[in-house]
Amino acid sequence: MSLISKILPLENVLLDAESASKKRVFERVGLLFENSQKLSRSQVFDSLFAREKLGSTGLGQGVAIPHGRIKGLRDAVAAFVKTETPIPFDAPDGAPVNLIFVLLVPERATDLHLQLLGELAQMFSNASFRERLMSSNDPAAIHQMFADWQT
Amino acid sequence: MKILILGAGQVGSTVAESLVSEANDITVVDTDAAKLYALQNRLDLRTLVGNASHPSVLKQAGLADADMLLAVTQSDEVNMVACKLAASLFNTPTRIARIRSVDYLAHPEIFSPENFCVDFSICPEQILTDYIRKLIEFPEALQVLEFADGKVSLVAVRAFEGGPLVGRELKYLRTHMPQVDARVAAIFRHDHAISPEGSTMIEDGDEIFFIAASENIRNVMKELRRMDKPAKRVMIVGGGNIGRRLALSLEHDYQVKLIEFNKKACEKLAGELTHALVLQGDGTDESLLETERAGDVDVFCALTNDDENNIMSSLLAKKAGARKVISLINRSAYVGLVQGGKIDIALSPAHVTIGSLLAYVRQGDVAAVHSLRRGAAEALELVAHGDRQSSRVVGRRIDEIDLPAGATIGAIVRNGEVIMGHHDRLIESEDHVIVFVINKKMISKVEKLFQVNIGFF
Repeated sequence: MSLISKILPLENVLLDAESASKKRVFERVGLLFENSQKLSRSQVFDSLFAREKLGSTGLGQGVAIPHGRIKGLRDAVAAFVKTETPIPFDAPDGAPVNLIFVLLVPERATDLHLQLLGELAQMFSNASFRERLMSSNDPAAIHQMFADWQT
Repeated sequence: MKILILGAGQVGSTVAESLVSEANDITVVDTDAAKLYALQNRLDLRTLVGNASHPSVLKQAGLADADMLLAVTQSDEVNMVACKLAASLFNTPTRIARIRSVDYLAHPEIFSPENFCVDFSICPEQILTDYIRKLIEFPEALQVLEFADGKVSLVAVRAFEGGPLVGRELKYLRTHMPQVDARVAAIFRHDHAISPEGSTMIEDGDEIFFIAASENIRNVMKELRRMDKPAKRVMIVGGGNIGRRLALSLEHDYQVKLIEFNKKACEKLAGELTHALVLQGDGTDESLLETERAGDVDVFCALTNDDENNIMSSLLAKKAGARKVISLINRSAYVGLVQGGKIDIALSPAHVTIGSLLAYVRQGDVAAVHSLRRGAAEALELVAHGDRQSSRVVGRRIDEIDLPAGATIGAIVRNGEVIMGHHDRLIESEDHVIVFVINKKMISKVEKLFQVNIGFF
């Protein structure tokens, strides 16, 4: 099992037909973490926005990996959002994104977090993996794709 | 970024113009359809006619999707209410308001998240007043701008015959005053930028931008021109928002005469000002200027809200012999025409104040932005974050950084200590780096350079 699937519960995989902006996505994600992980939604929202201000987490090819530190969080936790409309994210290739992987880590970052990020970057650089995510509209199937990922 | 601007006045339209060119998604709201029409004809943005403090208008303008709200209408109250609504109804991440009234500004707690939810307030009149005050403190300078809480200054000065450095190579500065560290960031000769190098000759009439620790700027200026006597007598025309503030700020340190046309306003001003002399009259009236000896003043400031009157009264004062004349000019086309001729300094309020807004709007951790040469050039204070892996500046020597040509690192402020930007200095995380950019086209490149990459937590 990949590092990623351990921190991505099925209920954190979201197909989002409504959000058309970065702000809306972060709001939805905040709500998601509030419901599933009992985190405060404003804390999640603020942390993601503050990190984004220092430099975009857009990866290119329609992918972004917004991440932030959360005070009081014990273990890293993630969410995956696929938006129906691609949204502007200031990614290096200028293209809007619709595959958004959100990573929250404890206040003190460790090597593990960099490893997670590395694994994510590797995953999303795989064109067929992106293709499969794009074509699926079933959260369970998407979750399975993350679980089945082999480095 | 998605940005909603409330108010299409001077501030709103200038900021919209400067942001549109930076590829943002801008919507402007105003009650005046004609103003919006003019703006939309000129710029690629969306406009909406309506009351900027009504939730329905904010909703229609797309506030729910916006990353930032700039409330810069004429009314403090509308701006404050809009920020409050943005926070409570739309969860807008960043809210900025223009607040003019000193009454509000005296109570910063009313802007807190429990109250009006204004993240940052800006007061253009105050910024302009401080700016003019600096020009009076340093009568030789064309521009004096501060960075890092005033620790570092950027000064524009015209080189004049008689300055020890004029007619010599730039590197002579170091030999001539080894104890003072300063960097020349740019030289403009006949309105063209030259990249300064050690072998660059300084000529009479050059406009020189240098960066130094604030306590050293007087010494550096001395190298470039003969020093004028410090200013003592100041005459201000126009007792409006800016003239009044300036008179209040100067009256204890200078002999101030303030000329105001409106009789009622004069009475009010006379009550507020304890030392300055308030005169009722027309600032373009030659005989009034003569009787009040405008020709003998050290600095003459024309600050009414009428560009033509400001230009005329400044010209009259200059002709009579005033040492330095400063004229406030709203129309940016006039500013270029007038500056450097008979009028020593033509001030565009929009250009002076826009930087304070841009600092919040720009991507990356930008602590300060100052617009230079009527918006053609810029000086930025950027905060470096990350490490050698996640940043393209941290952990590198200045000469290893891939700065676009025409951008110079002038200085670094590290834990309050000023370090001049010599080529072998290493940038550390959390350093405040002062960058001078001679062409605004490079600004986004410089900003990108200072942004952290995806590996930064």
